[in-house]
Amino acid sequence: MAHKWGLVVDLDRCTGCEACVVACHAENNVPTVGKDQAAIGRAMQWIRVERSWEGDFPNPKVRFQPVLCQQCDAAPCEAVCPTYASYHTEEGLNGQAYNRCIGTRFCANACPYTVRSFNFFNPSWQKPLNLQLNPDVSVRSVGIMEKCTFCVQRIKSAEIQAEAEKRDLKDGELTTACAQSCASKALVFGDLNDPNSEVSRLASSNRAAKLMGELGTKPNVTYLDRGAWQDAKNS
Amino acid sequence: MKVLYALYADPETAQRAVDALHAACSELNFDERQIVIISGEPHEGYDFADSHITRRPYGWAVFGAAIGAGCGYLLTTLTQRAYPIFTGGMPLSPMWTDGIIVYELTMLGAILTALITLLVGAKLPNFKGVIKDPEIWLGKILVGVADPLESSQQDVQECLLGAGAAEVKQFSGVSD
Amino acid sequence: MQKTVEQIEQDLQRPTGRTQRAAERIEQDLLRPIFTTSGKYKVAVAVSGLLVLAGVAAFGYQLYTGIGVWGINSPVFWAFDITNFVFWIGISHAGTLISAILRLCNATWRRPVTRCAEAITVFSIVIGGLIPLCHIGRPWLGYWLIPYPNQRGIWPNFRSPLLWDFFAILTYLTGSTTFLYLPTIPDFAAIRDASTGFRKKICRILSLGWQGTPRQWQRLEIAMHIMAIAIVPVAVSVHTIVSWDFSMTLVPMWHSTIFGPYFVTGAIFSGIAALILAMALLRHFLHLEQYLTPLHFNNLGKLLLTMSLLWFYFTFCERLTTWYGNTPDEMAVFWQSIRLHFAPLFWTMVICNLIIPVPILSMKRFRTITGTAIASSTIIVGMWIERFLIIVPALDHKFLPFSWGVYRPTWVEDTLMASSFGMMALLYLLFSKAVPMISIWEMKVGLQPHGGGIITTAPAIAEPHGLVLEGPLPTDVPE
Repeated sequence: MAHKWGLVVDLDRCTGCEACVVACHAENNVPTVGKDQAAIGRAMQWIRVERSWEGDFPNPKVRFQPVLCQQCDAAPCEAVCPTYASYHTEEGLNGQAYNRCIGTRFCANACPYTVRSFNFFNPSWQKPLNLQLNPDVSVRSVGIMEKCTFCVQRIKSAEIQAEAEKRDLKDGELTTACAQSCASKALVFGDLNDPNSEVSRLASSNRAAKLMGELGTKPNVTYLDRGAWQDAKNS
Repeated sequence: MKVLYALYADPETAQRAVDALHAACSELNFDERQIVIISGEPHEGYDFADSHITRRPYGWAVFGAAIGAGCGYLLTTLTQRAYPIFTGGMPLSPMWTDGIIVYELTMLGAILTALITLLVGAKLPNFKGVIKDPEIWLGKILVGVADPLESSQQDVQECLLGAGAAEVKQFSGVSD
Repeated sequence: MQKTVEQIEQDLQRPTGRTQRAAERIEQDLLRPIFTTSGKYKVAVAVSGLLVLAGVAAFGYQLYTGIGVWGINSPVFWAFDITNFVFWIGISHAGTLISAILRLCNATWRRPVTRCAEAITVFSIVIGGLIPLCHIGRPWLGYWLIPYPNQRGIWPNFRSPLLWDFFAILTYLTGSTTFLYLPTIPDFAAIRDASTGFRKKICRILSLGWQGTPRQWQRLEIAMHIMAIAIVPVAVSVHTIVSWDFSMTLVPMWHSTIFGPYFVTGAIFSGIAALILAMALLRHFLHLEQYLTPLHFNNLGKLLLTMSLLWFYFTFCERLTTWYGNTPDEMAVFWQSIRLHFAPLFWTMVICNLIIPVPILSMKRFRTITGTAIASSTIIVGMWIERFLIIVPALDHKFLPFSWGVYRPTWVEDTLMASSFGMMALLYLLFSKAVPMISIWEMKVGLQPHGGGIITTAPAIAEPHGLVLEGPLPTDVPE
């Protein structure tokens, strides 16, 4: 059976530590642009942690929300790419073929979540970060759009390993860099087509909601939130 | 190519000259197709101008549009199917969006055929033996006979002068 | 053969004699700008040429450094670039559409207007077509949009509005260039016969060996008729497709069904304004006072007034629907543009597109050459702002408040924009030196007693006819 990769983000567990952001930078060779560029909106992050406040001083409640590519089943970014650089993989991921990308940036405008990062300049890494680039992930050049791949290099590697050993992938055998680094286990990655996987179990929780699910993009990232659960219970 | 011609100030006298040449062509041994008429602007309502009216270019334009539509269909639908890419449940060649490109290529086909029909119909480009007299740009109309027989030249001249021309000129075929 | 005084007077009394005299005058008046070059012309070419060079330099810098030298950021991935693209493609609706519609309606006053309108069209499509090439992240790979068999396994995605743009602009550019070129063939032949040297050689090729036989004239007119029929739906489709670049996405206030007709209206609106401005300049600098008359400005002014009201109608419909629907995503963008960050621009746009032009254009007293030119200048500014306000406020207030951003253009974008205007001026100036800006042979047809033309069978109104005939005799023409 084909896999359908999904991620669950438990907002009730997220502490906002941003370990996932750092892990993603390291795993996927996402360049750091420096504070001047970041200040004018050029920061490149495949996953970012959004922060909001509920209530006023002196008792504000801080809430964090990791936002990454939602790997939509009906992705607005894919249809608009003139060169098929944004495409749909057979495992339901929103792929991005860097070599095909000519940089129209149409996909980034079409994305309601603004999770696509554009290489405004050629990337560079401060020493010693330049020594830790992941050899499994290509480095992107100027003028190219990039985005979260659900660590497709890890998925492929695990699949090849399982195939060599002539067995099925086990739940929890592979995970993304962000989920792996999450200390509070707020991020859980797995196969949604496997009804017994942890991600399937969590995704069908009554705390589950999709980010802007009303747009009809059919995201594969699910957010768990007590607020949503309470709303569901009250209705 | 040698042309014996005269310049006429207005289309009425030009028409008279053309009529006279038509009447004389069998007697003077030249074909009707050897009659040359050249003007610096189109004239409507005179036999010499209206004898070429045809509606065929419209038909050709429609034909070209059909060719364009066919190319559009081939390009969008057939090539997409020949080059299948996994689109995640979205149709590989959706009719409505392909229709936009088919539409544009249909119009392109019509436009290009109109251009080709003009070039073929008006025998353009043609750089050899362009008959010209600068006075046609001042509103005069040139009427003459291309390559008349030596023996009948005198009669052609009289024919042209009889219609109201002041003088008969000769174009020797020297191009630029 | 020397004519006697009596013979000349006799000629003058015969209507054909007068017609011929007018034909001579048209020939002289309209060819004069081609053969004489003034100092002002050279200055204008130098200034616009420098602007183009500045744009080339800025683009080179952008290529070398990366598109980050622009002010675009996340989430405002499109800004000045696409604004200019939409603006110039909009301006291109000046010519082909107006001239084609006027041709099809047998509006004989169109004769002096069509050539300069069609030239605007061709050049602004060229500029509009270059902008997307400059704006992509890797401009050297722009040709990947062309579907042709290749070894790198790339085939374009026909579902992408950008590809529709590619095909629409291809068809429109081919059509408008043909539409501009066909009626210039006889004029090239006229220049060929009136000039010497290099110009003669070029015009000999461009005239394709045109002679002017009845058969050629007939075929030319019928080809123009077919082109006029074909180009109108193409022009409408082009700007509709440009609008689909926006409305096909989910972005608040982009995802709108009204965008197709709204953009086409705005395009024709800005196109007529550009045409009026160009005509006023041509009239002044090429001394075409007897050809581009107050009548033309009056008629185009009325058309401009209609479009201004139509533009307001569409803007009102669009904004009212959004405001009444009151969905939070759209209202964030709505208030940005009307009350908050972009409010000064928004209200400038309303003043430029409605409040200044409508009073000027609705009163006959003000619908003069100066009046329509003033209205057109404000409209061009207003329509540029309109395109900007469609694109940027929607992008920088898209859905999630966390990702809202601010856009500020850099000098590279400013230079490229100025350069696009310089390029328009330069191409137009060079064109006016190569081709008569008013179709000579079509003006002559206007002298014929019944208005002439195989397709144009309606009786001519006396305007160009009368004015040309009443003008001074050829000997009085100032050099």
